[in-house]
Amino acid sequence: MITAFLTFLFFFAIIGCILYGRKLIRTEKIDAVFGNPERAKGGVHWVIVGSSFLLLVWLYYSWDIAKSFFPRSANELCQVGKVNESLLSLKYLFPIKERQLKSTSVIKTETENLNKILLEIDKTDKVNSQDKVKLINFINKTKNSIPLLTNENLLNNETKSKIGIITDKINNLTDKFTRSDYPNESPEEEIKRIDAAKKEGNWSSSSTSIENTIEIPSIPKTKRGLKFQAAAVELNAISDEFFELRNHNEQYSSLLENLKKEIKDFRSQFDSAEDITSSFAKDILKIARRIEYASIFPPNTLKDMQGSIENFDKAQKKEQGGLRWVDILLFPSGTIISSGPSCSEQGSGRWLPKPSDTVNKFALMLNPKVGFKQIPLIWYEMMDVSKIVGFILPDWIADILPGEYPVHNEKGEVKPNFKSKVLSFVTGDFKLFKIPIPTGHIWDSFLRVFLGLVAGIIVGVPLGLFMGLNRFAKGFFDPLIELYRPVPPLAWAPLVISVLGIDNLGKVFLLFMVSLSIMIISARAGASGTQLSKIHAAHSLGASRWQILRHVIFPNSLPEILTGIRVATGMCWGTLVAAEFLAGTTGVGFVENVAKKYFQYEVIWITIFIMGMLGLIFDITIRKIIDKTIPWRGKG
Amino acid sequence: MKKIISTVLGILFAFTLNASVANAASEVRVAYFLEWPSPNLEDMNKKAYSKALGVPVKWTNFTNGVAMTDAMLAGDIDISYSQGLMPYINAVKAKAPISLVDVAMEYGMGGTTCVTSNKSGITKANASELEGKKVAVPLGTMAEYVFTESMKIVGADRKKMDVIAMDPEEGAAALVSGDVVMACLFGGNSIKSATSVGKRLLTVDEARAGGIMGIDIVSVTNKFMKENPGMVKSFVELTHEANERYRNGKSDLKAMSKESEMKVADMKDTLSGFKFLTPKETKKSMKRGNLSKFLKGFDTPRGTVTTKFLP
Repeated sequence: MITAFLTFLFFFAIIGCILYGRKLIRTEKIDAVFGNPERAKGGVHWVIVGSSFLLLVWLYYSWDIAKSFFPRSANELCQVGKVNESLLSLKYLFPIKERQLKSTSVIKTETENLNKILLEIDKTDKVNSQDKVKLINFINKTKNSIPLLTNENLLNNETKSKIGIITDKINNLTDKFTRSDYPNESPEEEIKRIDAAKKEGNWSSSSTSIENTIEIPSIPKTKRGLKFQAAAVELNAISDEFFELRNHNEQYSSLLENLKKEIKDFRSQFDSAEDITSSFAKDILKIARRIEYASIFPPNTLKDMQGSIENFDKAQKKEQGGLRWVDILLFPSGTIISSGPSCSEQGSGRWLPKPSDTVNKFALMLNPKVGFKQIPLIWYEMMDVSKIVGFILPDWIADILPGEYPVHNEKGEVKPNFKSKVLSFVTGDFKLFKIPIPTGHIWDSFLRVFLGLVAGIIVGVPLGLFMGLNRFAKGFFDPLIELYRPVPPLAWAPLVISVLGIDNLGKVFLLFMVSLSIMIISARAGASGTQLSKIHAAHSLGASRWQILRHVIFPNSLPEILTGIRVATGMCWGTLVAAEFLAGTTGVGFVENVAKKYFQYEVIWITIFIMGMLGLIFDITIRKIIDKTIPWRGKG
Repeated sequence: MKKIISTVLGILFAFTLNASVANAASEVRVAYFLEWPSPNLEDMNKKAYSKALGVPVKWTNFTNGVAMTDAMLAGDIDISYSQGLMPYINAVKAKAPISLVDVAMEYGMGGTTCVTSNKSGITKANASELEGKKVAVPLGTMAEYVFTESMKIVGADRKKMDVIAMDPEEGAAALVSGDVVMACLFGGNSIKSATSVGKRLLTVDEARAGGIMGIDIVSVTNKFMKENPGMVKSFVELTHEANERYRNGKSDLKAMSKESEMKVADMKDTLSGFKFLTPKETKKSMKRGNLSKFLKGFDTPRGTVTTKFLP
């Protein structure tokens, strides 16, 4: 319902805005020539067109439009899929799906394979000439077995009649199928089926659990669906029957029996089965058995059957009616297919979750009780302030105090003394008041990026300024920085993780490395880019070294530094996700990595959106800070 | 503007058109594991599969069964040899169009196990101390199943542990560096490096007594199965021939060790924990034995297992 409304909304938004944009262009033509920057200003309507188009493409390729306008189409297509599945193995035998008859291509490849072995035997000098003659004899016998299969005159009457029966069955089914009362369901059966279908639910992913159980209901809900399902059951029986059928007439069977026995006798004279002559014989036997297993028939024997299958295919396509158009138009790049017990979306609908499902699942994951793997996406928990005290104060304060830690007495009691009280204070083992602090996957990822970035800024900016101003510093640090800077941060990841561990320390250090090089380069560029005249002016006014650094050089390099921070933020996000892929217990990257293992495509897309949003928020914040704090940017 | 519209429509149309002409397989692509020896590696080494199937067979190694499913769904792999049962179950639960055609091997905890570090002092007796600590588990694989079952046996609550998703190689490295107190892993080299600093939580016998058993299977994409039933049959047949040869002690261990990238002694050690079933046993396992019980235990959708390709 909402999806349908949104589809129309986006559609008309695009049309409306395009019309508005065209009108605007016409009025502008008079005073703004091409190349005038005024022409690139404004343009909210194009933003609307862009984003609406994107959303529309998403709705379309995730098949959400199909779901909202034709909610039952998936169920019906599932039944069609069942028919296609049972037809598939029959179709592969004929030039319907393939370019050649299966028999033809089998004969072609096996003849080639026999010739290949023949050539190998001919060339090798490890087989004595006596055995060679025997092996070539085997090959010829195998080759001679093929015409026995393809000769129409040798075809058994029994086989012939069986093919006729199967063909009749298919024709019969085609006739029945086009009738409107097929498959004659009794009222009781109908009630049962509709009940079962209702229990199975509708076409959508689960909105009560992260895992999807049934996405596409497979019990037919409509009459049309029922028809297809019934036909699929019959077709399955028919194709099974056909696959049991082999064109093994007496001549062929006796020849093959003979060949098998001869090869067995021939091989038994060798001690090891791995002997080269013996393995040649084995390979020939393999080919002979492959020919035996393949359904090879005389060229024209199956003509009628092919015709009947084609007829049925036509009939079922016709019977699909409007559904066929829904399938073609609203299920782009893929369709619903049936495989074994269930139906599934194959194509873009599989890996591109529907917006409606994604929103549902996101809402579910935001619920702190659900979250992902028992950890909320983002929530708060109450933490005692004492923990912070314990974190800041080092534990050895208690150790250096005079005296001993208490020992339990005979009654089994432990009486705390001054020293143990200090210990519990410095380790934060006491109660103060509680404050809420954020927690969850998103917060963890955010914190890692933030810490890595801040550490990089704190170390990188002074070092960069120093390098920009001092010959020694430049010369000393330059080789180190220039060597590690061009290495992609991810190349460090496995190393850093095995040295510093899989905890936050390793990840934050990785991000620190990413941001450090960027900050150094930008601070250095900013420092060395300061205009000499400004420094001279400050110097002549009596400024000290510190004052020149604080009031001239630093403000001058700030724009470069802040641009550096923006670049570093982007790089940090990219690296973080990959680091969380490698080893993690929390974080957005971890969520994505685990979701991938369970094929939870909605969750994967949710994490992608979260990362996009977080990156955007970071970037906007820094842009705002730049605008607020350094109004002189671009004007010096 | 007209041009833009026509371009956009053209692109949409191109996306919608799905190439639907199937080609007969000119090459069969098989996924397998390194460090996970099996008798048919000898045939792989000697290119016997190409001969048996009549077309070239390309082998690609993977690090876990989940990645195998991914590759099968993307159409890059036709047959997965020795995919773990857990990844397979997860895949068919997610409605992946793949089928189980053969059991590659059954194994005790020799091949997949949880190792606790000596430093942590945690053993089977005090396993509840694992709660609140970090453990490395390759989620979604057979090792996760072993982990879950072992925790039930030793009476520890897995929900209270900090489970870190790690592949076996990384899990072993994390155990060595002391980042985790326990790592669940598979693969000879990974287990070897983990046991150098720790001990198995459950011995092979204890695990067997607790009913923990791993099953690796052979899965194929439904498309390939329908298209080339003959090739699937040949593949399964040759694999069973190799198993037969191994049972008779006639396998070429050097060729196997070369393909599994293990030393012969290590490989023998790993192989000693494997049981390669005969076709008869396989059929039994698939119909009402271990495999079918396992699948039922995890509420696997029915109808994805077929025995018709067994010799």
